[in-house]
Amino acid sequence: MRTTELQPVRAAYPGLSDVGPTYLSASRSGPADAQCVRIGGHLIQIRFATPGLLPCIMPAFAHLGVDSQAPPELVVHVWDSASTGASAPPMPDVGLDTTVGAFYFFEADSVRGVFQPGLQALTVVDFGADHAWYFVENPAALPYWERAAPIRQILHWWMATRGHQQVHGGAVGSPDGGVLLVGKPGSGKSTTALISLTTELRYAGDDYSMVSLLPRPLVHSLYSSGKVHPENLPRLPHITPALWNAGELATEKGVVFVDQHFPDRMIESFPLRAIVLPTITGKPETRVVETSRGASLAALAPSTVFQLHTAGADALRYMARLVREVPSYVLELGTNVTDVPGVLLQLLDDLRRAQE
Amino acid sequence: MRYRVNHPQVIDEIVDGEAIIINLADGSYYSLDSVGSEVWTMVEQSRSVDQIVSVLSGRYDASEEIIRGAVEDLLARLAVEELVAPENGQPSPARACPPHLPTTERRPFQVPRFEKFTDMQDLILLDPVHEVGSRGWPHGTGRYEDN
Repeated sequence: MRTTELQPVRAAYPGLSDVGPTYLSASRSGPADAQCVRIGGHLIQIRFATPGLLPCIMPAFAHLGVDSQAPPELVVHVWDSASTGASAPPMPDVGLDTTVGAFYFFEADSVRGVFQPGLQALTVVDFGADHAWYFVENPAALPYWERAAPIRQILHWWMATRGHQQVHGGAVGSPDGGVLLVGKPGSGKSTTALISLTTELRYAGDDYSMVSLLPRPLVHSLYSSGKVHPENLPRLPHITPALWNAGELATEKGVVFVDQHFPDRMIESFPLRAIVLPTITGKPETRVVETSRGASLAALAPSTVFQLHTAGADALRYMARLVREVPSYVLELGTNVTDVPGVLLQLLDDLRRAQE
Repeated sequence: MRYRVNHPQVIDEIVDGEAIIINLADGSYYSLDSVGSEVWTMVEQSRSVDQIVSVLSGRYDASEEIIRGAVEDLLARLAVEELVAPENGQPSPARACPPHLPTTERRPFQVPRFEKFTDMQDLILLDPVHEVGSRGWPHGTGRYEDN
């Protein structure tokens, strides 16, 4: 019988209880550090056993950093072997699928975990204690997409317990309101989000965002990063000088940490006015056309469900509620992308007037 | 004869009369128009094919034969996609069918529109997900382990 019912496996993974002690052991090898970020109103402390992973994780969260002595709601312990010399926590010898994206998921009582053999990365979240652990063998081997959206699985799982839903989508707007940009990879989300940096629109992300429904639909920024396919860089000349990995574009998307280069353009959260589905038309004109909620859900949900592992029926239900709350539009991207922010600003102005 | 939705590998939501259905096992997703969504909803309610045909015959201006053909065709396609599966030998729970609308109030019938999208399948191939079963770390491949 095929089933998704997960069996208790805590005892079946002999290393699970060793995860915390392994972190503590690693932290004795060098100066520890702790950084606090506030995401969607929740204070999260990221503890680094040593500074080894700091440059891999914190640039994406730089815009959300806070100096707080308040007790964090979630503590994330981060460490690696390469910079600490410490032993890795016990890893399973899966031996079956070591493709870079392979993802082994376990759940037992209040604990969930993931092993990614391609990255030699282990993620564990203890929901009962509100502690999480993230281990990678070698920070230097972390791919660019992990640096652009670090500890994504932890945030996806834990934020859901606080009533939020991570979605595959970018977001731009202002404190007065903004749009969620949704669609499959290659639909134009990143181009739309990053071209907006040239205007008064502010940036909340290009690939992953967090949404909440109560008391009203809100978008919360997760990452300051943006990713650009190299062939789109000529359309985004303001991004090219800011690329973090300019020398790697033969094999990687260009990554920019927006907060480092456009520090006044980030926004932490805003009311959601509309869901926007960018689509490349090849036509000169950029315009918005209202679309059905079904089309909006089809653009938002499958890519979210398949990108955010273990997202399922609950996430789909959440996203369906979201598309019922706000109108949806197709953004027909014209050949001159500099027209795009103006069209979005006009849409937001029209919606603000209509919704007030 | 009745069908059941292949939960939990299949998840679905209906918004404004349009069903969005996702097959977590292979990365496919689907949309159904309003008539198709009505059929889907009744499958979720464990209604038999006869009951579905009867309900739709009371709502739409078409012969029962035409409606039955469309419903059976849709269910067969959904079954091929492994979104639903027949439950042979399982009697349908007795359900009262809503009264048929007067002929003048019935809507024109359109064959349910069913669209399949496969543009997410690459993500499944790039990022295969393996769940852990009772034997500990996974021994199988695919999103769901056979238990």
